[in-house]
Amino acid sequence: MIYVPAFLVLIPVVTGILILVFRNERMYLLAFLAQTLITVLAVSYFFVFRDDFASGAFVLGGWPEHIGITLANDRLSMSFIFLTILLWWVVLFYKYEPRKTDHSFLFFFLFLQGVFFGLLQTNDLFNLFVFIELTTIVATVLVGFKKTGSSLRAAIYYLLINTSGILMFLIGVLLLYNVFGTINLLHIRDNMEAMDSERLVQLAYILMMAGISIKAAIFPVYTWLPKAHGAAQSAVSALLSGLIVKSGVYLFIRMNQMFAALSLDYVDFFFIIGALTAIVGVVFALSQKDIKQILAYHTVSQVGIVFMGLAQVDAMTAHGGLLHAFHHGMFKSLLFLCAGVIIKVYRTKNVSEIRGVMKTMPFVSAMMIIGMLSITGAPLFNGYISKSIIKYGIEANPFQYAALFAVNIGTAASFIKASQIFFGEKPLSYAVKKRPPYVALAILSILCLVFGVFFAPLSDFFFTVDISHVSILSARGILEYALYLIAGYLIFRLIIKKDGSLIQRLRGFRPSFETANYVFVLYMAAMALHFIVL
Amino acid sequence: MSRKIILVAALGILFVMFFLSMEEMEDLFKNDAKLYFFEHGLDDTGSSNLITAILLDYRLFDSLFEAGILLVAVFGVIWISRHDFEERNAHFMLDKYKTPELFVTLSRFVFPLLLMLGFFIILNGHLTPGGGFQGGAVVATAILLLYYINLERKTDISLIVAVVKFAYLGIVLTASISLITRGEIFTNFMAVDAPTMSKYIYIIALDILIGINVALCLWAIFTAFLKEGR
Amino acid sequence: MNPVLTFIVVLIGLYGLATSKNIIKSVFCVTIIESGVILLFLNFANYEGGAIPIVSEDVAAIVDPLPHALMITTIVIGSAVTALALIICIKVFHHYGSTEWAQILRREDVK
Repeated sequence: MIYVPAFLVLIPVVTGILILVFRNERMYLLAFLAQTLITVLAVSYFFVFRDDFASGAFVLGGWPEHIGITLANDRLSMSFIFLTILLWWVVLFYKYEPRKTDHSFLFFFLFLQGVFFGLLQTNDLFNLFVFIELTTIVATVLVGFKKTGSSLRAAIYYLLINTSGILMFLIGVLLLYNVFGTINLLHIRDNMEAMDSERLVQLAYILMMAGISIKAAIFPVYTWLPKAHGAAQSAVSALLSGLIVKSGVYLFIRMNQMFAALSLDYVDFFFIIGALTAIVGVVFALSQKDIKQILAYHTVSQVGIVFMGLAQVDAMTAHGGLLHAFHHGMFKSLLFLCAGVIIKVYRTKNVSEIRGVMKTMPFVSAMMIIGMLSITGAPLFNGYISKSIIKYGIEANPFQYAALFAVNIGTAASFIKASQIFFGEKPLSYAVKKRPPYVALAILSILCLVFGVFFAPLSDFFFTVDISHVSILSARGILEYALYLIAGYLIFRLIIKKDGSLIQRLRGFRPSFETANYVFVLYMAAMALHFIVL
Repeated sequence: MSRKIILVAALGILFVMFFLSMEEMEDLFKNDAKLYFFEHGLDDTGSSNLITAILLDYRLFDSLFEAGILLVAVFGVIWISRHDFEERNAHFMLDKYKTPELFVTLSRFVFPLLLMLGFFIILNGHLTPGGGFQGGAVVATAILLLYYINLERKTDISLIVAVVKFAYLGIVLTASISLITRGEIFTNFMAVDAPTMSKYIYIIALDILIGINVALCLWAIFTAFLKEGR
Repeated sequence: MNPVLTFIVVLIGLYGLATSKNIIKSVFCVTIIESGVILLFLNFANYEGGAIPIVSEDVAAIVDPLPHALMITTIVIGSAVTALALIICIKVFHHYGSTEWAQILRREDVK
């Protein structure tokens, strides 16, 4: 039982290779089998060790801890593992077609799952680097999987900027190794208090945070995300937006735990960065017409909200940020999958050309509306819960509260814009042959509702954090949501619909690669000035 | 222009930070790990080359995914390049009339030596500098010289790829035998107190598998590029 | 060699990334950063009088083997990234007829 973390990494990888070896038509069965096995192992591991996760840690090969690679779990990584398993099941159901197997896709898809488990469970900084880089490479291939021009250019943009970020992370690892003489994350955390070379560790913090910021796609270095997520096929976008971006959030939490004793004042800095991310994401989302671009820019803005929550001293608000990362994983993959179905039927991505989805595909539009209600934060849906916790936490500061409020209004406006596709009439000249993937969409939308209603016991079960103070049907919540909708509708009617020159210019704004790197260097310098000099 | 000045200023800030923090480097180095490797490395793993000891035993998990990263790169490169695996010949890139005669003759002479050096490096990874990764790269270089010797050479990528998959599965399998024999995962399947000579079995087997994996992966990548260069 | 000098290699790579307008040059710059990182690691591991990390009877002090082992992994990872980046680069050239970032990002997707 204790070796389950290693098996979780190996089973998907080996299954992926076996699929390539046999290249049979029924290889989906093998993938389903591997998924079932992983699910059973992870759930039983959780129940065995849930009272004391520290006892589940082990060193591969049985060597001393400061030499070998430790695999360990805690509630944070276990929750991410469950989210991974859920999304992988959903995408498997989504891609499943009887008697037709895309072997290469399944290989990369399962390999990505394995290395992501590795990233979540390893306690060794260099091993972490290997897994981050592997995630990047596999995700690059998945982004460019369709081999159209736009997906390939998005893939290379993604690969190069992420690699340069991760190499900065590696320099940080090196500096830490020199200070502490080990690269075991827990040992470094324990020794952090006693170390006597503050400058080196601060430099390591800056370089590692710079790399993580690129992975998490926060404000100045977010430019790769809309390209990559807009260009990939919908199933891959769902995975990337739902989960792989969260690897940045996960590492942010992990690294700040590790550097906790350094008592750096990261809270203000990352709150401002998070708020800027959220606002910039919303503004660009408002200007877009491509439905996948809209969703991708909303990933940027939602990650901004997650960071607004995480960068708080108050533990409850930070928990709200974490919870929002999970909820975002559910509703954003739901939205991407629904968008994928709609795009396939209508053969266009432009929201002003798609009309009458409600009539042609009632089931898919119902699911998509659930996703939209969740992302805008309607009561009874999961987005409301996490946004409320963050809201309670930052209410006291009017500026912070205003930023969140503005982001919420912008989100509402841009989804009112996206919801035009449901109404109107546009008869298709061809019949809709393929059935929508009922199971995949239903699982996610039911979970959106379940996590919106039974949030208190679920949070208690997974994180042992009591959030029962959030009331679902408070007058204030409903009133505020109505206000968002009204303000959003006004913005949509008065500004967006006119499609003025400013909006057109925002839509055409494509920062080139060298600008993205230029901004990245400036971002690192700004962090250096903020954390060391000030 | 102002953009470049700001850029240089930002890089300058990073440089100054690094420079200042280097002052703290004076006898900072904590060498617990180094001493551990020096004292126990040979007894624990049976490899007197400590780098091989780390790669194949202490941090085998890294090496496993290091080989995996090459595998992913090969499949990614093949997927993104063409689909038909039938590789005709390479003369479009290595033009017969531009390759100097001397180079071709020398290649004929160097090829066996280089191949032998590669195998030597792979097989003696535990005694001399080297190991599977390094030796595999040398072997791959030797194989690539064949393209200069015989310009009409035909390569079947699908065959290379088929072998690579089994080589990788072999690495995973060899690495996890220890789960049955010793109850520890990803280490030598011989007990720690076994004689050094018997531990060589594991190291040499793993080095050969990694060497095959690396050599074939690099060969496949190169062949895919040749095809693409048309 | 001084670690500070090696860090300059990393900074040169960053400068190149922020100014080069061509995909292939960007790939080179990532490789330069990577070489800088590798040199940095090896620099920190080495010291005067340290022998190569192979245990034998007449060796009293060795250089730290761990960074060397880690750097083999980094080199392999770097070669994989370079291979993937270059093949995508060739494909992008086939699609857009250019390897300039500005041009490929400006052109709309022409099949």
